[in-house]
Amino acid sequence: MNIRQQLVQLLNLAMVLSTAFMFWKGLGLVTNSNSPIVVVLSGSMEPAFQRGDILFLWNRDKYVDIGDVVVYEVKGKPIPIVHRVLREHKVTNKDRKVRQLLLTKGDNNPTDDLSLYAHKSNYLDRDEDVLGTVKAYLPKVGYVTILITENKYAKLGLLGLMALSTLLTRE
Amino acid sequence: MFNIIQRIQSLSNFYLTVSILLCIVTTVVSIISMFLDETSSIPAQLSNVVISTNLKYSRSFGSVGGRPKENSKILFDLDMDLAPLFNWNTKQLFVQLVAEYPTSVADDGAKVTYWDSIITEKKYARVHVNKQRGKYSVWDVSDSFQGRNATVKLKWNLQPYVGFLFFGQTKGEIEVAYPAT
Repeated sequence: MNIRQQLVQLLNLAMVLSTAFMFWKGLGLVTNSNSPIVVVLSGSMEPAFQRGDILFLWNRDKYVDIGDVVVYEVKGKPIPIVHRVLREHKVTNKDRKVRQLLLTKGDNNPTDDLSLYAHKSNYLDRDEDVLGTVKAYLPKVGYVTILITENKYAKLGLLGLMALSTLLTRE
Repeated sequence: MFNIIQRIQSLSNFYLTVSILLCIVTTVVSIISMFLDETSSIPAQLSNVVISTNLKYSRSFGSVGGRPKENSKILFDLDMDLAPLFNWNTKQLFVQLVAEYPTSVADDGAKVTYWDSIITEKKYARVHVNKQRGKYSVWDVSDSFQGRNATVKLKWNLQPYVGFLFFGQTKGEIEVAYPAT
């Protein structure tokens, strides 16, 4: 085991990390969304989406259509929420620009999302709040990330496994 | 030569490749079958659509600062068969009764949902209801619906087991006038 070999290994690791980062950012550019792939965290859209399902977003449409499933983030609450558009209104604001206002609801929730929105706002704003609309779906795969973020044993186990594999594959 | 880690690695690589390929094949086949099944022209019989309005004063009915807000409700008859939308990659159908009316901004300036339903099995794909009440009490951005004419139609969203979500609407929309109050 010489220093050269170790440097190559380090370079490989850096390559893998930067490729993943470039892929993520490139996807963000193509879809015009800050988080083009999201993992469902709650059961509010069941039975369509369960916890751990992966959703692929698209954010290049000027307006969202009624019935679309959107991912939105309310100002001050950095948790992305996946819900369906129940109503949409196009209105002009003070500077004569057309804005789209949305009311959303989770399929599995009894009422609409009025109580989830920012203080004193009765609608979501298409341009300001919406991260993207759901275009494609992959079941269950994202559950790994939920396990890692919510279960400390899973996190430690994964770290241990990675350390073990780097120790053992040195030949 | 081959230790256990390498074996696990190549096995999981193979598993990943196969599952990605399967996902792609599934997606492509379900897109093709959506075209072949002529899902864009499913007829729906909407009739006896009546919209009624009343005034509400609570925030959960759209009222701001206790000002009266006109809310509207719907009654309708519906007969449709969405069985063509059920193929082997259909997890659920979400159907919603939508009213679309023009505003000063655009011809489709407002779209509101009065009723929706989730269909998870093919045997429930035939929807036949009479004098069905809507699920939602609907209000507009403005305070009143007076003088508006809406196009009422039925939209669907097909949720697959894997792949792209499909959206569409049934044939057979109906014009309804909001009551003058």
